[in-house]
Amino acid sequence: MSEYHLVRRGDFSYKRVIICYAIGILVSLGIGALLLIGLGINPIEYYGRMLSIGLIGNRYAYKCIEGLLKVFVPLLITSLALGLAFKMRFWNIGGEGEFLIGSICAAIVAFNSNGMPKILTIILMCLAAALSAGIVGLAVAALKVKFNTNETLMTLMFNYIMLYLIRYLGNTKAGWNFFLNPESERPIFGQFEENCKMGGIKIGCFTLLYSVIAAVMITIIIYIYLKYTKQGYEISVVGDSSATARYAGMRVGRIILRTMFISAALIGLAAGLATSTAGTISESITNNVGWTGVIVAWLAKLSVPGIFITSLLISVLQYGCQAAATQYPSIDSNFADLLQGIILFSVLAADFAATFKIVKKEGPKND
Amino acid sequence: MKKLISIVLTVALSAFAFAGCSASGAEGESGSGSDFRVGAIYINSQNDTSGYTYAHHKGITEAMTAAGLDPATDLSIVDNVPEDAEQVTAACDQLAGEGCDIIFGISFGYIDAMEAAAAEYPDIIFSHATGYKSNSTNFNNYFGRIYQARYLAGIAAGYKSLALGNNEIGYVSAWGTEYAETCSGINAFALGCQSVNPDAHVNVYEIYTWGDQDLERQAAETLIDTFGCCVIAQHCDSAQPQIVANEKGVFGCGYNSDMTAEAPDAHLCAPIWNWSAYYQTAIEAAMSDPSAFMSTVGNYYEGINSGLVAVSELSANNEPAAQEAIDIATDLMKTGAWDVFSGTALSFTGDAGSVAVTENAADLLDSDGNVIVAAGGASVEDGVIQGSMNYYVAGVTQVNAAEG
Repeated sequence: MSEYHLVRRGDFSYKRVIICYAIGILVSLGIGALLLIGLGINPIEYYGRMLSIGLIGNRYAYKCIEGLLKVFVPLLITSLALGLAFKMRFWNIGGEGEFLIGSICAAIVAFNSNGMPKILTIILMCLAAALSAGIVGLAVAALKVKFNTNETLMTLMFNYIMLYLIRYLGNTKAGWNFFLNPESERPIFGQFEENCKMGGIKIGCFTLLYSVIAAVMITIIIYIYLKYTKQGYEISVVGDSSATARYAGMRVGRIILRTMFISAALIGLAAGLATSTAGTISESITNNVGWTGVIVAWLAKLSVPGIFITSLLISVLQYGCQAAATQYPSIDSNFADLLQGIILFSVLAADFAATFKIVKKEGPKND
Repeated sequence: MKKLISIVLTVALSAFAFAGCSASGAEGESGSGSDFRVGAIYINSQNDTSGYTYAHHKGITEAMTAAGLDPATDLSIVDNVPEDAEQVTAACDQLAGEGCDIIFGISFGYIDAMEAAAAEYPDIIFSHATGYKSNSTNFNNYFGRIYQARYLAGIAAGYKSLALGNNEIGYVSAWGTEYAETCSGINAFALGCQSVNPDAHVNVYEIYTWGDQDLERQAAETLIDTFGCCVIAQHCDSAQPQIVANEKGVFGCGYNSDMTAEAPDAHLCAPIWNWSAYYQTAIEAAMSDPSAFMSTVGNYYEGINSGLVAVSELSANNEPAAQEAIDIATDLMKTGAWDVFSGTALSFTGDAGSVAVTENAADLLDSDGNVIVAAGGASVEDGVIQGSMNYYVAGVTQVNAAEG
């Protein structure tokens, strides 16, 4: 009798990776094409629109790029932040909650800014967002270090606490609730004043938001931090083996606290930037980056340039699926999500196939 | 390497930006067959088979067909858009980019983003359901006097309670006095019940969400089992309250669509929306002269008279006199001779074939006994019905305590 099992491939070849990914993507697009044909839609036309994120034939094409970047920036920063924690084998899956608390705190600053100068207001919003989320991260890390609590559960549950908090804020009409628009009879979040809204550099009609520049700079800084600093090195040692780190004289607890603070604070910063860009808050402001970021970080194998490229590709996929769906009345966003899911699943499967191989092992005697 | 990638990307993106500028500068017609394009922003999916988005999508497609447009090619939809200003703005940008001439947004929370989009795209008409904002050129709001249809359903419920000798009527409501929309609906329904059975008492069970099938079911069960209600009306998404009424052998009035199929032995009639009445008016006005839209259509708030609201066909479960009384009340509202929230109460008497209505001057009282409209007074202003009504009329009680 023989049995099969998985073995991690010892060698690494770009050729194999590319072939696996190509097959995975082709298979997923093929499945999608069958579904599209079933709905009476030309799949080539549809995919064309999807991959060009609706630019072609668009009267305001620059808006597509602006829209894409609004999806991209929070996803990029959040994925980088999650990657930082994952490198240390600290399973921060609380991106959603950390993003939301950051968003709420940025909104507290914004709704009470009373005509403060724009630069100051936005910097304060980002600081409030980063600090509040960072403190949450620190608290979870402290519980882990002190009592060895399970950080996966802690951060996961925190997501729901924050989700229900923002829902409560959005649905509760009361004198103290400055988050709401006082003019509306129904509870609805208010809009920020002009001094709280992210500005940018005008390039023709297109506005390159400062948040995009900030995101690129953060990417570079994290790359340098992980690659060339002592703290960055400590993170990878703790991730490989905390016992080794301890043996080498590193203060593991402190490293965990520090890294988790940075990770959560970065997510908060992403929230601050996104909240200022949106000009208001809402329970869907995260755009699910806390979850998608986990996928991005792992697809990119936690490498910083990889995260940059993967989050850009996933943003194109998300934005493009939506843009294409808009043009076909019979296609709704559920189908767009389905297609995205099929593609992501195939890519993950391809990644798996590129990393592992199935080995047939001749059964040893009969024990 | 990293820097290189980011520089390349930045350059590529700015190149796209300039390409976009020139495309919009050229102002070329997009490639679609027709030159008029309708855009829609939905809170759920256009592929729903019932509910709020379904009703609007049906209205838009019917109106487009009637106006000579093809929904398969001349309609762009962004669906599942939450009430989040940023996502609504993105949806408006996308629809504007595709060359839509009129963009409908169907959910209340789209209000601020649509107002901003109307200012940004002056050539496109933005039309927002259930809101209260507008401008003088290209942004209106639209809604309907659904309370009129609820009054009619109340008449059917009143006859049923009279016939059963049970004055207790139940009402499963998403919200209570927090929203004028739900509150005015409950009040109109109660007044309709009282026009037939003056002792009718409406028990409101509030579920604190627009839709939750379990809560809707539990609320209906409580109203029947604990409060002994003989008719269950509803302002919530699903047909669960009607299904419960059917199971427990009582009667009910659904909402949004004729729920007789779901509750064949229980359902009397349902207040329903025919959104195509508005969409056809709006699309045709936008096609003929978009610049005059705000004077030809303007802010739209119509009722029974335009066909925007109605009651579904009365099922066989109704008392024989109900249809006649409903027809009489419908005519009074259609001609504008009378409206629900006024100092004149209707009273229906007589058997089928000889139903008579008397108009009695009477104070319209809230449940605390305060006078809302003095006897003989004119109807309250639309602003009250749409925005500030936050009390129940006499004869209505909420059976579950209001949450903090």
